[in-house]
Amino acid sequence: MKNSDVAVIVPVYNEEKVIAQTISGALKVFPLVVCVDDGSTDGSADQIAQTGACLVQHSINLGQGAALQTGIDFALQNPDVKYFVTYDADGQHNLADVQKMLDLIRTENIDIVVGSRFLGKAENMGTFKRFLLKLAVAFSNRTTGLALTDTHNGLRVCNRKVASELKLTMPDFAHASEIIERIAEKKFSYKEVPVTIVYTDYSRAKGQSMLNAINITFDLLLNRLIKK
Amino acid sequence: MIVIQTLLIVLLILMLYKVLSNLHTYRMKAWMKIFGALFTLIAIGVVLFPNSSNRVAKWVGVGRGADLLLYLLTIAFIFTVLHIYIKGKQEERRLVILTRKVAILEAELKQKRSTR
Repeated sequence: MKNSDVAVIVPVYNEEKVIAQTISGALKVFPLVVCVDDGSTDGSADQIAQTGACLVQHSINLGQGAALQTGIDFALQNPDVKYFVTYDADGQHNLADVQKMLDLIRTENIDIVVGSRFLGKAENMGTFKRFLLKLAVAFSNRTTGLALTDTHNGLRVCNRKVASELKLTMPDFAHASEIIERIAEKKFSYKEVPVTIVYTDYSRAKGQSMLNAINITFDLLLNRLIKK
Repeated sequence: MIVIQTLLIVLLILMLYKVLSNLHTYRMKAWMKIFGALFTLIAIGVVLFPNSSNRVAKWVGVGRGADLLLYLLTIAFIFTVLHIYIKGKQEERRLVILTRKVAILEAELKQKRSTR
């Protein structure tokens, strides 16, 4: 089957309303979908269990970064998987974009392909969110020396090498910056692809609070201090 | 001896005893015990001779013994908060590793059962 060398990793936390739909959409194109239920307190796990996706369940809530790493670890155990896709549970990503990114990574032998809303389209994005994300991009490019246009995009495709060397330690939302740091540190080859992200009322209500940017920045700086 | 002095000394000794017995179970480092014993001795000394703290304060250039105590306490508090914060972060990392292991093992078990 086509795409049998791809694992789609979906971190899930309290998404019972949309998760089944997201999974069934992805399963049509990708036979292996790994859902990491990050200790959801709603019916997310039951919803996942009814689909054909693999369910990996955290007994307690650890955060999206930890869930992603768990999904990657699980998928790495399958030697047939060559490409790893990180995909948001709320259905704001576009499957055609994933296919586009996969085509690129297969033909050009790149380590990691990341989606960018700012090269592509971000529908219904709030002005303040846009400003904050641009700020994060500027800060990230400055400190890592990379040239990216979107550093906090949940849609990424990477090869086995990146997946096994990623080793995310930031359990919460700071993992997005950590992935970028890892690209710089390990000198992975990377490319950005324009993607469309649709901000529905649901995803906007679920999305992390803007105030959380302060927490993330603090954690990242502290992490750097401790490492040195 | 005034009542407050007796009370404070009894409390201090009780605290030392508690800390030492707990330390033993947690196998904390030996210097922590020495520090604890030293701290208790100094504390008893200050309780018995309240003016001694004033003398030490003057010696290090602080107005009153009570002020010196406040400064030391502030430092100890900040140190403790930081210590607990770092400990918490370490615990969190350990918890992540453990939870991940359990999650993956469980998923593998399920997979094996369904393919059988």
